[in-house]
Amino acid sequence: MRRGRDELSFLRLADVMRVGGLGLRARKVRTLLTALGIAIGIAAMVAVLGITASEDAQVQAELNALGPNLLEVLEGESITGAEIVFPVESADMIERIGPVEMAAQISTVDATVRRTEFIPAAQTGGIAVMATDLDVLDAVNGEVAQGMFLDEHSAEIPSVVLGSVAAERLGVRSLDSTPIVYLTDTYFQVIGVLEPVQLAPGFDRTAFIGAPIAETLFDAELEPQTIYVDVVEGWIDDVRTIIGHTIRPEAPDEVTVTRPSDAIEAREVTSESFRSLLLGLGAVALLVGGVGIANVMVISVLERQSEIGVRRALGATRRHIRLQFVVEAAMLSLLGGIAGVGLGAAITAGYAEREDSVVSVPLEALGLGVAAALIIGGLAGLYPAARAARLDPAEAVRPG
Amino acid sequence: MTEGTEAVLELRGVEKSYPGTPPIRALAGIDLDISAGELVAIVGPSGSGKSTMLNMMGALDRPTRGNVLVQGRDLSTLSDRRVSGLRGRRIGFVFQHFHLIDGIGNIENVATGQLYQGVSRRHRRTEAIEMLERVGLGHRLQNRPNQLSGGERQRVAIARALLGDPAIVLADEPTGNLDSKTSDEIVELLRVLNQQGSTIVVITHDRDLAASLPRTVSLLDGKVEHDSAHQDGAQTVLASS
Ligand SMILES: Nc1ncnc2c1ncn2[C@@H]1O[C@H](COP(=O)(O)OP(=O)(O)OP(=O)(O)O)[C@@H](O)[C@H]1O
Ligand SMILES: [Mg+2]
Repeated sequence: MRRGRDELSFLRLADVMRVGGLGLRARKVRTLLTALGIAIGIAAMVAVLGITASEDAQVQAELNALGPNLLEVLEGESITGAEIVFPVESADMIERIGPVEMAAQISTVDATVRRTEFIPAAQTGGIAVMATDLDVLDAVNGEVAQGMFLDEHSAEIPSVVLGSVAAERLGVRSLDSTPIVYLTDTYFQVIGVLEPVQLAPGFDRTAFIGAPIAETLFDAELEPQTIYVDVVEGWIDDVRTIIGHTIRPEAPDEVTVTRPSDAIEAREVTSESFRSLLLGLGAVALLVGGVGIANVMVISVLERQSEIGVRRALGATRRHIRLQFVVEAAMLSLLGGIAGVGLGAAITAGYAEREDSVVSVPLEALGLGVAAALIIGGLAGLYPAARAARLDPAEAVRPG
Repeated sequence: MTEGTEAVLELRGVEKSYPGTPPIRALAGIDLDISAGELVAIVGPSGSGKSTMLNMMGALDRPTRGNVLVQGRDLSTLSDRRVSGLRGRRIGFVFQHFHLIDGIGNIENVATGQLYQGVSRRHRRTEAIEMLERVGLGHRLQNRPNQLSGGERQRVAIARALLGDPAIVLADEPTGNLDSKTSDEIVELLRVLNQQGSTIVVITHDRDLAASLPRTVSLLDGKVEHDSAHQDGAQTVLASS
């Protein structure tokens, strides 16, 4: 038995690696140039993945600042076609749900808003009038640009707070001259102007008045049009399913609950196709790099016929020869892969630096880049290696 | 075979044809025995089949017909892995063009002689250094082949062939690329190695050199035209044993 094994050729694993690296060390310039092709492809892909991840991290950071735990409750589709009316005390009902920190509602008021009484009522400039809870601005994480939001006192008198676009349309630039606007048939004093509200873009085209004055002057019903709900971190999904049952138990499906931050996140998806394009270009570069390796390996096999013949004469089997060239190609590609991953990470860091955003190079992208290079190299080496293994040793060592 | 002379290599009716129209008949039935400790010269005009025969002996190629036995093992029955193993362990090759590997040093080149036998690197290198010293290159250990003269390169190749103590060393015109003085030195080296116990077969175009060696086999048109072992001298050797 032992004797039988002694007869066989045998190549140690460490020697497989050593022999595989030999051809690369012997032709350094060629090695570097060939590896460069792979490096560019891998760098492009890692950079795209890295920049994407950094942007995602940036968006996430922004969302976290805005309030990712906000839910927006709207009327949904009615099965019967009848108008859906939420109870007037919806916000209070929702606030009684355990993990809800705050709920605030706004209600549509049947009123128009104009600069003065001399402007025709039809020209409202697309500005809605809403009766609002006093804490709605806190709920949506909004900010006042000038003046103040409504309080208990100003909610009872003709005071109005304007969204950013509404203020512009109504020509209110500064509160210094105590501007007034005309709501249906009464002048209201503008006491505040809001910053644009990211999570509730509708606020920008709205004129807010207090619920008491809305009831007094415009006979408003104060049925909520939208309810904003701040939820304790981690309870979003649970609360989301309960809201419908709470304010409309007879038909919970007719209540639509959305998460405004999802919409902002979804906007990022639009750039997804652009990323795919870049990734595709990176993949093409990789493919070209792989073809380059195969090409160089074929040439190398032709040049090294005598070496191959000698190795066969010294006891190498066909398998050993094939292994040598596959390992050489894989190492060549791996070299490019490692350089490419480094380059890609550097590009990402540079980009993040310039955009002043968070650096986030996903580890998977690095691992994936190296693995991809290894696999491409191995595949590129298969054909040249098979050719090398097929060489007739007698032919390969023949002089001339 | 007579008892006592161990046959290292036996060719039995070996024929080799290369494809062509008509097929090229490089070997036309060769019977030849080589015993342990011999130093044999192969001569013959160009195209007579010397290299082809050497390739058959070294299992670099398989005969079209007939059998090759190395230390009693019939090569035609062995797989690629076994034939390769046999080549690596039992046969040493020396080529006219040296065929050293560029990009690695002399020690590594010689050590490659045992690479495919699973010998550890340290062990290979130790033996390689010893072997380089034996062929007179103890002062050239740290060099690369392309820094050596032709004669020195051939010594490196001979050291590589001898590593692992093969049963037989096959040399195809080892002096073909060397000047006459260097050739003489290489032949002298082969002679010394033979005296130290190596069995050596050497192809040469040099009739004088061939005549100076203990046994000469001359080929013509793929056949053994003359074998000095079958003259009186050789027969007395056989008879005396
Ligand atoms: N691979 C091959 N394909 C076709 N014909 C071949 C091949 N190898 C050798 N031959 C032919 O076989 C014959 C013997 O060739 P071989 O190389 O053995 O001669 P040789 O005696 O070594 O000659 P030289 O002294 O010139 O080296 C020649 O006619 C040669 O052309
Ligand atoms: Mg020849």
